[in-house]
Amino acid sequence: MKHKGLNLFIYTCLAPAVVLFSVFMIYPTLSVFRMSLYKWGGLSAKRTFVGFDNFKTLMGDRLFLKAFQNTILVITIVTIVTLTIAILFAYILVREKIKGQNFFRIIFYIPNILSIVVISAIFSAIYAPSEGLINGLFRMLIPNWENIQFLGNQNIVMYSVIGAMIWQAIGYYMVIYMASISSIPLHLYEAAEIEGANRIRQFFDITLPLVWDTVRTTLTFFIISSINISFLITTVLTGGGPNGASEVFLGYLYKQAYTNASYGYGMAIGVVVFLFSFLLAAIVNRITKREVLQY
Amino acid sequence: MRKGLTMLLLVLVIAFGSGFVANAKVLKIAGLEGGWGTAHWEELAERFEAAHPGVTVELTIERNIADVLRPQIIAGMYPDVIYLSVNAVGGLTDTLIKEEVILDITDFLDMEVPGEGVKVRDKIIPGFTDTLITNPYGDGKTYLAPLFYSPCGLFYNADLFGEGKYALPQTWEEFFALGETAKDDGIALFTYPTAGYFDAFFYALLNVVGGPELFNRAMNYDVEAWSSPEATRVFELVGDLAQYVHVDTVAQANAAGFTRNQQLILDNKALFIPNGTWLPNEMADAPRAPGFEWGFTALPKLTDDGDAYSYTFFEQMYIPEGAKEVELAKEFMAFMYSDEAAEIIYANCGAVQPIVGGSDLLPNDDANKLYYTIYDTGAKAAMGGFAAAPPVPGVVLAAGGEDILFGTVNSVVNGDTTVAQWQMDVIEAVGKIKAAMDAQ
Repeated sequence: MKHKGLNLFIYTCLAPAVVLFSVFMIYPTLSVFRMSLYKWGGLSAKRTFVGFDNFKTLMGDRLFLKAFQNTILVITIVTIVTLTIAILFAYILVREKIKGQNFFRIIFYIPNILSIVVISAIFSAIYAPSEGLINGLFRMLIPNWENIQFLGNQNIVMYSVIGAMIWQAIGYYMVIYMASISSIPLHLYEAAEIEGANRIRQFFDITLPLVWDTVRTTLTFFIISSINISFLITTVLTGGGPNGASEVFLGYLYKQAYTNASYGYGMAIGVVVFLFSFLLAAIVNRITKREVLQY
Repeated sequence: MRKGLTMLLLVLVIAFGSGFVANAKVLKIAGLEGGWGTAHWEELAERFEAAHPGVTVELTIERNIADVLRPQIIAGMYPDVIYLSVNAVGGLTDTLIKEEVILDITDFLDMEVPGEGVKVRDKIIPGFTDTLITNPYGDGKTYLAPLFYSPCGLFYNADLFGEGKYALPQTWEEFFALGETAKDDGIALFTYPTAGYFDAFFYALLNVVGGPELFNRAMNYDVEAWSSPEATRVFELVGDLAQYVHVDTVAQANAAGFTRNQQLILDNKALFIPNGTWLPNEMADAPRAPGFEWGFTALPKLTDDGDAYSYTFFEQMYIPEGAKEVELAKEFMAFMYSDEAAEIIYANCGAVQPIVGGSDLLPNDDANKLYYTIYDTGAKAAMGGFAAAPPVPGVVLAAGGEDILFGTVNSVVNGDTTVAQWQMDVIEAVGKIKAAMDAQ
């Protein structure tokens, strides 16, 4: 009897969360899967079941493959560069005694409190060919400097977008790593120093292994946020242009679902994005698995 | 006691509330807050309310109106009038057309413009309700009503042209010759805000080269028209033009940078830019070269005795299926074509209604007058756009910029795509859309 009462209490406590999660997460996700099997404009009741036709079209869609390629490029480079810089900065700011430590902490974190639209506008000004900050700087140093078309050259536009994304992300991850590094007991470093380990050795043999679990968690964040933020930044900065050169997953999804009135097709892209990010997160999680170190 | 009082109050509120609802009508108007602002809508709503006692006009004029309306429409809450053009960001109107959920308003054209004793049909400038934009299904029925028209053409600094300066080119040959001269002076011949602005340019050019016949066939997804020698000539002309585009144009041809391309004209760094009459207003506060004065011309002719064309851009309003106050909506739309409304609109934001005598509202000393007299000085008008077609997944032919027909211009200018490849891509896309139309 007593046991039954406890169960009821547990279920009652869980119910609100379960209901909310089902209504706002599980149901919409399943809907995406269901809608991807229809040909539908998204606004009327007129929809036709087309089975896997949308996915078949997707496999031969050159622009989708370009967006896929761009997204993978973003995930790879943003993750590697941001992770490296963020963890290095975090290590320096926690472990080293440098002047203006707090000042740097704030400076690095500022991009995070700015909206993506503001960041895009800032980078639009930085990358501008004639009036831009970077070209202006080079023109000052090198006579006859030919402007780099950061957002105009189809071969480099994606790297320009990546540059803005890295600048935007470093502070956030740095704070996470800093919290993790601060909790490492000092005596480990002291012992290492007595043993004659230099700073680099300490970083790789003490810091990195002990924050590894945090790194693994942030890797999943990187995958999800790269997909989302690359959409926001390209929407404002390039509109996916020039001529689709900076198109990413969600940008292409939006264009197909709304501009091209192919909502079902857009949802098929959504399904691919979902499966891709899920799978990638799982793979990354598996290959980064290490024995958890205790201290 | 207290409970009784509350109940009484509640009963009174319900009684009065329902009484009001029974008598009152609410006309819901939703629209885009674009460059024209919202002041004219507010005044129009006030005048309409004054002329229709018991009617309340509920305005929702937002910058992101497509995003605001989409969930409402999905939930079955329709406004009575929507003011949002085909090809606007978000593609809401385009989707409603493709889904065939816009009301046929052909009978509205036979309504009288309030207080003027003239039919709407006769008040609207001839031609405006015969386009593929207003009659998207090509069945002679009107679904979208035209408003706020603006000739599109090439803007330039008039101070650079005239005696002892550059001569305004009349033909494409002269145009490119000027390009060479200007190049020697360190000025680029051409720039464009974004590739999306090539719509008006390209449509006018199709008319310049192949006349209205080619244009109409092209807009109806005629694959042969798109692969005809005339169409090839159009693509090639744009390809030639690409050689003279200002070097910074592509990098700035996006939402964040397009005004920098427009600034190139003000700074005398480029000579011509395709645009609409809103440009001078948009750049009103921008710095400019000394002596700068806006000039406006139609697209050059192919030969001396050929035709010059200027594309007429206009916006649209319509009644979605599911609107509650259809008759009231039509009355409001009829009111929009009255002289009274046209004056309110022009006074508040400078937009010109496509009504007979509409451009006479402009005072002679008004800079806008120059733009609206373009058709009086020899240029022919081109109007309309692609016919409605079922959506083809993955094929975005013309959607205001990042698309196959116009977006590829950026690649042609960059040298990443050849003109021949561009035309082939367009033909392929047109073929797919045509096949989908035939399969319907």
